[in-house]
Amino acid sequence: MEKEELVLWHLGNMTFHAKTLIMTWTAMAAILLFCYLGVRHLTSGKPGKMQNVLEWIVDFVRSLVSDNMDSEKGRPLLGYLLTLIMFVFFSNMIGLIPNFTFNLFEHFDIEFAHLNKIFEGPSLQSPTADINTTASLALLTIILVVSLGIKHKGLHYFHHFVEPSPVFVLIHAIDMISKPMTLAFRLFGNIFAGEILLKVIMMLPGIWVLPGVLPATIWLAFSIFIGAIQSYVFTVLTTAYISQAVSSDH
Amino acid sequence: MGGNPIQFDYTVVATVLSFLLLVWLLSKKAWGPLMKMMDERRDNIESMLTKAENERQQAEQIKREYQEEMRKARQEAQEVIAKATKVSEERAAEILAESHEEAEKIKKSALVDIERERDRAISEVKAQVADLSVLVAEKIIRQKLDMKGQGKLIEQFIQEVGDMQ
Repeated sequence: MEKEELVLWHLGNMTFHAKTLIMTWTAMAAILLFCYLGVRHLTSGKPGKMQNVLEWIVDFVRSLVSDNMDSEKGRPLLGYLLTLIMFVFFSNMIGLIPNFTFNLFEHFDIEFAHLNKIFEGPSLQSPTADINTTASLALLTIILVVSLGIKHKGLHYFHHFVEPSPVFVLIHAIDMISKPMTLAFRLFGNIFAGEILLKVIMMLPGIWVLPGVLPATIWLAFSIFIGAIQSYVFTVLTTAYISQAVSSDH
Repeated sequence: MGGNPIQFDYTVVATVLSFLLLVWLLSKKAWGPLMKMMDERRDNIESMLTKAENERQQAEQIKREYQEEMRKARQEAQEVIAKATKVSEERAAEILAESHEEAEKIKKSALVDIERERDRAISEVKAQVADLSVLVAEKIIRQKLDMKGQGKLIEQFIQEVGDMQ
């Protein structure tokens, strides 16, 4: 069994997970294409199929936000949350797509980019199967929580750290740290485990991958389900945390 | 390397930047215009609903006016008919009365005529009787009457008078 090797890009003394970044950008490109198809013939009359899909997503996220908070406060967040749910969903799906590059990059290799190493193996990798991606998103969430809390309540926002008594400051601090941590690790764990299991199924003994067809199909279907659920969960929790921070009732 | 899947490095920074770029791009190019369109459509539909409601009310109003006019027209027609009927009845009664009068007049003049005719006939008869009397007297004088011839003559005379009457 060949050991999975981490492909790194070096820039000065900084390192980047090349595979994760390439997949991140692939997912972004897919989202951009998807949205481009949706807004290509934008009309306020009868929408086309793709516009309908996009409008459905917008309505979905909008109702999510208006369920959790004042829609006036939630309106500027819509763009972020929409992008978030789309990005996490597309990222989760990318790891389920078989590698259709057929080692093409061995012939068009760019030394710096290590593309041949990135596009090897039976399937692509989800960006969300890397803790760096999920941690970035969780970091953005907690930054949004704190900054929107300050924006809507001023310095009074920090008051909730010492409620009901200053003793609770430690618990509140743990709460504050655990929020992004659970966000990051939940998504990462779900997707990473899903991909590991997919790889394990692919390694079933037999004539290449044929014995794994049935279990792989079942697991792929389940992974699509998990990917959708996790993107929903991430967005809902982000919305909930922000609404906690901006709500004026406590 | 390889063993531990949890390794943080500058990928976080790159991902944050990439994601924020995506957020900016999509908000500007996709979500913004899309939501604007959706709002526009909602406004359109709302205004169309209001318009439809207005038009429905107008139609209702027109219908009510029309029905009112119909009712009025029908009433007027009824009145006209009633008036015409009354007029014609009066006229008929008038005509009837006139014709009665006429008939009465005709009858009266006919009676007068008859009276006059009778008077005339009587006076004619009287004149003829006088003539006949003269004639008889003439005959009597002319024929030198015997007893037998006298009776015959009287009888003839009487018969002539009877025929005349």
